[in-house]
Parts: sequence; structure tokens; C-alpha cells
Amino acid sequence: METVVRIQGVDHRVHAELIKGTLWVHYNGRTYTMAVGSGQKSRRKAGVGGSSDQISAPMPGKVTKVLVNEGDVVSQGQAVLVMEAMKMEYTLKSDIDGSVEAIHCTAGEQVALGKALVKIKPSSDN
Amino acid sequence: MSKFTRIAIANRGEVAVRIIKACDELGIETVLLHSEADIQSRAYRMATKTMCIGPASTAESYLNIEANINGALASGAQAIHPGFGFLSENADFAEAVVKAGLVFIGPSAASIRALGDKVHCKDLAKKAGLPLVPGYEGENQAVAHLSEEAAKIGYPVLVKAAAGGGGRGMKLIRTAAEAKEQIESAQREAQSAFGSPKVFLEKYLDHAKHIEFQVFGDSTGQVLHFFDRECSIQRRHQKIIEEATSPSLTDDLRRKMGEAAVAIATAGKYKGAGTVEFLLQDGEFYLLEVNTRLQVEHPVTEEVLGIDLVKMQILTAQGEYVHDPKLIRVPKGHSIECRIYAEDPYLGGVPSTGLLGKTMWPEGPGRRFEFGFDAGDTITPYYDPMIAKVIVRDESRPRAIQKMIRVLKDSVVFGVRTNIPYLIEILGHKEFVMGTMTTRFIETHFSEPLVSPPLMEQENQVLQGALAKLRTSRDHRETSASPWDGYWRGV
Repeated sequence: METVVRIQGVDHRVHAELIKGTLWVHYNGRTYTMAVGSGQKSRRKAGVGGSSDQISAPMPGKVTKVLVNEGDVVSQGQAVLVMEAMKMEYTLKSDIDGSVEAIHCTAGEQVALGKALVKIKPSSDN
Repeated sequence: MSKFTRIAIANRGEVAVRIIKACDELGIETVLLHSEADIQSRAYRMATKTMCIGPASTAESYLNIEANINGALASGAQAIHPGFGFLSENADFAEAVVKAGLVFIGPSAASIRALGDKVHCKDLAKKAGLPLVPGYEGENQAVAHLSEEAAKIGYPVLVKAAAGGGGRGMKLIRTAAEAKEQIESAQREAQSAFGSPKVFLEKYLDHAKHIEFQVFGDSTGQVLHFFDRECSIQRRHQKIIEEATSPSLTDDLRRKMGEAAVAIATAGKYKGAGTVEFLLQDGEFYLLEVNTRLQVEHPVTEEVLGIDLVKMQILTAQGEYVHDPKLIRVPKGHSIECRIYAEDPYLGGVPSTGLLGKTMWPEGPGRRFEFGFDAGDTITPYYDPMIAKVIVRDESRPRAIQKMIRVLKDSVVFGVRTNIPYLIEILGHKEFVMGTMTTRFIETHFSEPLVSPPLMEQENQVLQGALAKLRTSRDHRETSASPWDGYWRGV
């Protein structure tokens, strides 16, 4: 809906809508979202960001190639698997030096956003 | 050749809408040949008739030659418009369409083979005397052999799909260590997107501009060019922002490149709309490739010249379009196009899919919106992430940039995240504003995901106010009891 919000006597025109548990607001040239309901925080943490021992799917899509085997030694930045979504390939890389502890997917598998795909055991633990 | 009364569209999304509008204006009925996944789309609702030709998978629907032709025949169409992408540059398709007794709206299969296959195109360019980027175009497609050839050319080297375009099946090899991984990746993408794993190699020019010329061959076979576009703003070789005309060309270069574009299109006996792409570096230009189809960014050319390329294509296919020798075309003002992708700019551009909520495109003078989906439609993961194009025209490049920023800020897309904030950042970047950007602009200045700016107190108050209003509005009463303890983020 389109509405006017009055803050300290000044009217601000906004567009706001609730879509599947997320509130969307467009105001002053920007779009904002907020997860509605209990505890559903920062979806952006799914898959990407920070250095992690867990490589997860940054988007829904298909795993096209798994480039490592369990037990393989990997270095930071090394390609670990390849995904495809919307006809584009994305290479997922290891954030850290270590060894492949577990692989939770197979080539050809459709995976959901945020699914854990490969677990890397940091080499500092060895 | 007689006039068409019904045209089948072998495509989807905003380009299908574009073709339907041109047909409507010409009084021609349309048949949308669509997949099961695309019944929630504008083109589906706008077409005179629709026909489902297969499941969501492109191989079984939009890339299926037989299904498209059978659909067109069954629906009583006389011609097929392939749009861009999918089968638009597939010579076998163009041939099969003609064999089935239909008209292919585009160049002949022979022209597509001569110009569209990047390897054959280079042979033709050599004969026509066009400058080429050093590379390898051989038949030996073994990864080891390709790696050797790449080393001979000297890194960095691009590996590209022979049958492709639009950045798919194209990878950059920076060092010998990356060669195997990138070649294999390009071959897989080429197979998946175009049905052929064939690739070729090319030296990567590291501070080049992407300049292309719109060419058009009329019904009599005369080819003219319709000036240039600059598309240097690319990410992973996928164009993001295009403009007409290029801010970088001198009159002399424009004349020389235009003549070269016409020369190769004429050599390929080109009919209809096509694009000759060049790289320009240090005042020297090299032929990149020829796209034997309508281009995604065709609107910017239409805007500065006041023409309708899709109608011209249809009229040419009917044998009715002849260039007027008395008409001297001069581009007026400046036009910019931004491609709106369904992706998260704060996550480095990963695709965003889902139910589209409100969409609002702020109409106004010199503003044009090409979009394939409305509120209530779902953006699926099966196809290209481009959901819309925003095109502006104004009297000068600075005015056009200013207008585009305003239009993007006022555009509303709810339900999927878009690259709009990313586009706004690019449009305001000094290098873009000065017009000196090269094809490495994105990797140089925007390689990291955008950082969401912190929420100001006033913004927070406005958002909380909007929330309260929504909570009390009748439409959303069911949510009024929920605890709204989420967190805000800008998208």
C-alpha cells in the first residue's frame, strides 16, 4: 500500500507491503526489508560472509560439479564446488586452509538457499 | 511475400512483451510459445494466443526446435520471432523454421552460420579486412590443447562459447594454474546454455571499451548501420548498463567502425537487425563478434534515432522494408539503459527468486520501461535473472545519467531483491560520469558486494510508522498480532 507517515510534523510518502513473512518498504529512493515474526534474523548470513568452515549454497540452484573428495587438503580460495542457477555458473571456494571433513551434496543435486554443502576442517586444528 | 496475420514468439519475459507490442501496432496477432513455468507472466497475459510447448527446463521448451515449430504450426502462425537468447542465433532452428513452411524473423540460416558462429565469423572478418583480437579458433577442443594455445597467446586469455553470447560460457583465465578449471567451466556452461560445448580463445584486452554498431539489412539486401552503443559496464561479461551513442568515439573512429560493421554484415548477406561488437583500446578497434539477432540493449538505439527495430524486423521479413536513401539519420540526445536483475547486491549478486509483490515504474517524459512480470507473478530460478530494463533519454549524457538515477530511486520492486542500489552507485561513479570506463570497470571498482548503509534514526521512525499503518490496515489485519521484532535492512 501507499501511505504517508508523519514524523515531527513532516509527511513522508512510503510504499509498504507484506510478502510471505517479509515486510518491504520503499522510502526516499531506497527499499528496506524486515523479517516479520519471531527470531528470523539476517537471512543474508546464509551461505556467504565471514570466513567459515562451512560452505553453503548462496542461492537455490543445482550443484554441477564437486571438485574435492573427503580428506582432501584445501587452501583458502581454492575452488571446492560449482553451482548453477539462472543459467550462470558460480564457483564456491574455501574460505580457509584445511581439509575436507564432509561433503553433504552430490553433482546434479538441486539445493535450497543456505544448505550446507561442504564442511572444511581448519588446518590449525590438526 | 504476403503480410503476416499471426506471429509465434519463441521466447519469454520482457522481450516477448516487446514483440507483442510491435505486432499489436502492426495489427498482427501473436502466439506465445511458452514453458509450464511461464504462465504467470505479462507476455502470457498479453499474447493473442498462448501455447505450452514443454516443461520449465529450457532444453525441453525454449531450446526445443521441434516443439517450437510444432507449436507455431498448430497455432496457425506464418512466422516465428525468436527474440534474443535461446534459439535466436541457432542456424538449425532458422533452417527448420523455413523447411516447415514458416518465415524466420531474422537473417537466413546461411548468414547465421557465416556470422553468428564466432569461428566462421572471424574467417569472414579476415577476408573483409577487419582487425581481430589475437586468439585460437581451432577444432581441437581437448582441454590440454586449449591450455597450450592459451599459453601461446599469453595470459590473460578469455575462453568463450563458439555458439554463445550474453556472457554465458565465457571465462577469464588469468594464469596457467587456472586454465583447466576455467576451460572446463566454460565448456559446461556452453553445453548447458547453447547445446554445444565448443569454445575458442582470445587475448584479453585489459583496458578496452565495448563499442557495438547496430546494423540492419533491408528486404533488398542493403545493409546500413544505425550508429553505436557503448556497453563497457559488464560484470562477468554480462552487460549491465548500455548507452547510445558512445561518449568515447571521435567522428573519425565512428565513421571507420561503422564502415567496418557494414562491411562484415554485407559480406555475410545480412538481413534484419544485427549487432557488430568491437573492443576499442588506445584508439585501435578490434572485431569481437557479430550477434545475428535483436540485442537486449536495442532500445537505446531506438530512443536516439526514433526508430522501431522490432517493427523493422517484421516488415523486412514480409519483404516490405527498404532503407530510404534520402533519409540522413542523426542521433538526438543521449539514451541509457539499465538492466534490472533479480539478485542481491549485498550478497555479491546471487540470484533472488520468489513472489513479486508491488512493482512500480515511475513514468515520465523520456522514460521507458520494458518488463516481463507484474505483481503476483513469481520469479523462478529456471531462467535469466533479468526481470526488467529501464531506459531513459535526455538532451545530453549528464542529463540522462541524472534522470536515470532519479528513475531508479523511484522504481519499486517488492518480493525479490534487485541490483537497483548497485546501478545507482555505478551511475554516480566518477569514471562512469566522465565516460572513461572500460570493460574492467566493475572488477576494478565494484568487485566487492555493496555494503548496506546504516539505518538513520529518521529512516527508522518512518519505517516503524509504515509498519504501524500496515498493521492497522484492513488488508493486513491478520498480521497485527505478530511480534515485529525483526531487523531492517536496505536492499
